Amino acid sequence: MTFSLLHATDFADRLLYNIVPPLKAGMIVLADRYAYTAFARDAARGVDRRWVRELYSFAVKPDIAVYFRVPIEVSTDRLMARRVKLKFYEAGLDMGWSNNAIESFRIFQGKVLDEYDRLVEEFGLSVVNAVGSITEQQRTFRKLISQHLEIEDTDEQLDEQLA
Amino acid sequence: MNSLTNSSPDAQNTIRPGNYYGNGIPYLPIDGYPGKIIAIEGTDGVGRSTQIRLLREWLEIQGYGVIETGWTRSELMQPTIELAKASNTLNKLTFVLLYATDFADRLEKEIIPALKAGFIVLSDRYIFTAMARAGVRGVDRTWMRNLYGFAIAPHLVFYLKIDEKTLIRRVLQSRGMDFWESGMDMKLGDDIYESFRAYQRSLLREYTSMADEFGFRVLDARRKVEVIQDELRRQIGAFLAESDAATSTA
Repeated sequence: MTFSLLHATDFADRLLYNIVPPLKAGMIVLADRYAYTAFARDAARGVDRRWVRELYSFAVKPDIAVYFRVPIEVSTDRLMARRVKLKFYEAGLDMGWSNNAIESFRIFQGKVLDEYDRLVEEFGLSVVNAVGSITEQQRTFRKLISQHLEIEDTDEQLDEQLA
Repeated sequence: MNSLTNSSPDAQNTIRPGNYYGNGIPYLPIDGYPGKIIAIEGTDGVGRSTQIRLLREWLEIQGYGVIETGWTRSELMQPTIELAKASNTLNKLTFVLLYATDFADRLEKEIIPALKAGFIVLSDRYIFTAMARAGVRGVDRTWMRNLYGFAIAPHLVFYLKIDEKTLIRRVLQSRGMDFWESGMDMKLGDDIYESFRAYQRSLLREYTSMADEFGFRVLDARRKVEVIQDELRRQIGAFLAESDAATSTA
């Protein structure tokens, strides 16, 4: 509960100082994770789903929300390849499901992914297959955004940027 | 701007003392815990802490295990709250959420374990203080009630009621007016006295409006300490005798 509420406090602070003012000024806000992360993570920790949704009812609904989906094996492999030391809470070690960080990460993030699948339906998140290469993902991502913003998007642009 | 989710307020459920107000904390079922929560509510200067000290002594002499818990006293949150108050960056939402986090910490680490072990929890202020403070700051009522849906309904809530005039004199006599207790964050005016008066007046209105909804037992706090204490003991004694009888026949 305290984990969930502390994150909500942080979110409220950022919403009022960093998100709402640029929106009022007509700017685009790119949010790396949003309330959906809390919905998924808190529910995976056993917090009441409806309660978390109502807790975040003060949040502004994003114009577009994109979910980069990977199977659990891919995300574990990526983290292992980078030899990242798993963070205590990220691995869900607070839940006491396993003393092994990798094992615990698999169990916990598996539950988180299940929650995300629910969210995709409930909130109509756009899904990008994040198994592919960064270029492929960026292409799909740009298509989604440009459709939404009704701006021109050409593959040449991306090729130039990456060249 | 639309809000992210449409909150759908439930029809007001009947409050069951010792149970969660709302859906509660799914991973912490509390059914059938033998302890009791007794909350003492009221604004500043009504003598809550004096009454709680006297009650504790009286209950312990009778053989009850007692713990005290109070607003913003959680180990996790107290330093953060102090820091945030000092930094002047708090807004009404983060203020409310920090309080709720403090309460959640005390609920999980102090209150629920004590209830499980059959203790009496004397709570110096409860969620109603948070609701009153949020109410005067214009935070949505339904949202607040949902937020505290994880709280446990106390077995008894005493509201030490005082009038504005007596309250002002008592606070001035003791330790004076401070920034937050005067609602200076609400920018009602530069004059701390006027701000304090206006703020405390709206707080009193908020408490009164909750009395029926949450079943407050209202006590006149202008009376002598001993008179109030006698009244508290009489009502608590009757409640405990009744619940002890219920458990021994069960």
